[in-house]
Amino acid sequence: MATREVISTGNELSAMAAVDAGCMFFGGYPLTPSSEVMHVISDLLPAKGGASIQMEDEIAGICCVIGASMSGVRALTATSGPGVSLKAENLGLAQMAEVPMVLVNVMRGGPSTGLPTRVSQGDIKQASNPSHGDYRSITLCAGNLAECYTEVVRAFNLADRFMQPVIVLTDETLGHMHGKAMLPTQEEVEAGIVLRKKFDGAPEDYRPYACEATEPAVLNPMFEGYRYHYTGLHHDAMGFPTEEIETCRKLIQRLEDKVMAHQDEIELNEEFMMDDLNGEDGEVLIIAYGSVSLAAKEAIRHLRADGIKAGLFRPITIWPSPAKRIKEVTSVTKNVLCVELNIRQYTEEIERASGRLDLEGLYKVNGRAISPYEIVEKVKEVF
Amino acid sequence: MAFNYDKYLRLEKMPTLWCWGCGDGVILKSFIRAVDKLGISQDDMCVVSGIGCSGRFSSYVDFNTVHTTHGRTVAYATGIKLANPDKHVVCVAGDGDSLAIGGNHTIHACRRNIDITFIVINNFIYGLTNSQTSPTTPQGMWTVTQKVGNIDPTFDACKLAIASGASFVGRETVNSPKKIEKLIVQALEHKGFSFVEINSNCHINLGRKNKMQSAMANLDWIDSITVSKKKYDAMSPEEQLNLLPTGILKQDKEVREYCDMYEDIKKVHQGQRAKITQDDFEKKI
Amino acid sequence: MSNVMVAPENTPVWVDTARCKACDICVDACPAGVLSMQQEPTSTLGAMITVVAPEACIGCSECELVCPDFAIYVAEKKEFKFSKLTDSSKARQEAISNNGYRLPVDYKGE
Repeated sequence: MATREVISTGNELSAMAAVDAGCMFFGGYPLTPSSEVMHVISDLLPAKGGASIQMEDEIAGICCVIGASMSGVRALTATSGPGVSLKAENLGLAQMAEVPMVLVNVMRGGPSTGLPTRVSQGDIKQASNPSHGDYRSITLCAGNLAECYTEVVRAFNLADRFMQPVIVLTDETLGHMHGKAMLPTQEEVEAGIVLRKKFDGAPEDYRPYACEATEPAVLNPMFEGYRYHYTGLHHDAMGFPTEEIETCRKLIQRLEDKVMAHQDEIELNEEFMMDDLNGEDGEVLIIAYGSVSLAAKEAIRHLRADGIKAGLFRPITIWPSPAKRIKEVTSVTKNVLCVELNIRQYTEEIERASGRLDLEGLYKVNGRAISPYEIVEKVKEVF
Repeated sequence: MAFNYDKYLRLEKMPTLWCWGCGDGVILKSFIRAVDKLGISQDDMCVVSGIGCSGRFSSYVDFNTVHTTHGRTVAYATGIKLANPDKHVVCVAGDGDSLAIGGNHTIHACRRNIDITFIVINNFIYGLTNSQTSPTTPQGMWTVTQKVGNIDPTFDACKLAIASGASFVGRETVNSPKKIEKLIVQALEHKGFSFVEINSNCHINLGRKNKMQSAMANLDWIDSITVSKKKYDAMSPEEQLNLLPTGILKQDKEVREYCDMYEDIKKVHQGQRAKITQDDFEKKI
Repeated sequence: MSNVMVAPENTPVWVDTARCKACDICVDACPAGVLSMQQEPTSTLGAMITVVAPEACIGCSECELVCPDFAIYVAEKKEFKFSKLTDSSKARQEAISNNGYRLPVDYKGE
């Protein structure tokens, strides 16, 4: 129940969320506009006996986090687009070796150095496949201040459930926005913590990577009597490198299936003012996520005041996409407007899921937020 | 009774995949003897290795083991150690892994003086991937990326470690397994970052195209380019140019270790001590 | 594969042929001509280590130390009465080293 009122910024809320969710290790590197997550957590963690370290570069930042998580602790890193690019190879190792961790990406203008102090949603595609090879990214996107907290909490539980990195996207608008957030209490967050599974049988019977085809590895913390091997190579049941044909095939297929077979545990959407959308002429469905959804909601209030029935479909779990639900809602409403601070990055996924190529779009890539009025104008222009 | 290496080995992985005569096996044995001598429990030890032939080191030993991405060995280890400061963390990587792609991480791990032992197996080449030039491959030698002769200069890894702030730096060669064992014992006992370079023979890659086909020829060459620190220090710069000193090259027991200093940060936040200031440090810059 | 490191009875040095890769290093390291490679068509390099003169072993353990593959072990002083290094041992060692680390077929030492 969201009863705890906190006034803060998105970045600070993300740091608080991690600590409340049991994170005991942070590793990172300064990168605007994410640095405040590190600044805040560097005080919060040692107060609780945890450790926070600013490493020598972005790559070292994620490596030490993966190492800490391999040893058994919940671990976080925070960065922006260029940092995700640098971290990509090691994100891949975490996927392959099934190491849970959370990465907060406070999106800024890109590509390359881009616009360090300005907003974009330009890392959507990157988040679905930051590293080479086959695996399924789990990516969440905070759409308001409170979600800068609650999505980080959810990310830690998802990371431990699926034994892989989980990306939480926020953006410069939310990261630096200062306002009121209604949060669950710390007790509620603690009560909701679900840590990674552990094997408690005899060490000689332990096979960390021998699991069912749609389940993740069971990786016990280090130093507790269960000794096994981590590697980024294809590996067998004990984690040792192998090239055996069936073992390799099953491993990669399992990395895919462990996520896709349990989408119901991962999918989360908000359907704002969509109850009365039932396919009549003139109805408008807006699809937006992240900070843009704040403007979209305001735009919908204006449109309804002007007699236009509009609603917002907001995916909160971005990847895997809620393809089935997207298809359903876009089959009901003829007029669909996709709004993003990038050029069609998620629109292409909505086209794929809906089977429609006639979606309208409002795209902005100049580092400025989209205002509710721009959305209202666009709706009236195209529909 | 002969030394029981089998206790520390993952026997199902034997024999090793290393070439016949590869020094990696000698270093592995010396490391095991060192750990045994210190009575370190297998559960309290974590071995992190990089990419390369030396990277396979970690899969052979029955400890908590990690095989990382290329060059990032000591960055992963920093996370493991900082999250578990009372456990032993040992890194094993090659010359390419630790000095080329991983150079930055090596420098900063030395600088932080975090209590990790970093065994750098320097065989003067990229072995596993077939003879590309490494930062320690002598100029003029044949490498697959400079087949008409390597022009890349080299540098002394131990000098880099010393300049970067490691508090224990040493070097030995695979010609002296007992000395390797002793050096690793001292490195493990030392509280702080221990940088240990072991010169090893790669006759299959470096040697074969550089007139040193046999393991023995490579071992003799390594012997000819190394000399004890005592003798080295008495030599002229001209004589020193083509030699690497062996033994303990630096040991500072006074400088504080990183996890130990981090405990102070925890104490400040938990109200148990005053804020840290420049007065807490002898070194002001 | 032997899991027990206790020396077989009255044996100074013993080998695990499942692990030996015939690299020649132990033969080169032995001062007393105790070891030799011999032809072995079923092994990867076509050769395998053999103990040709166990009675000459001085127990220096150089072979055990320099073997990269956990393939050769030396008994302790109390398990075997080791020999001293003799001129004939040294001569045999030289003959082995000069013959590609193999004892010459017709070798007759003193």
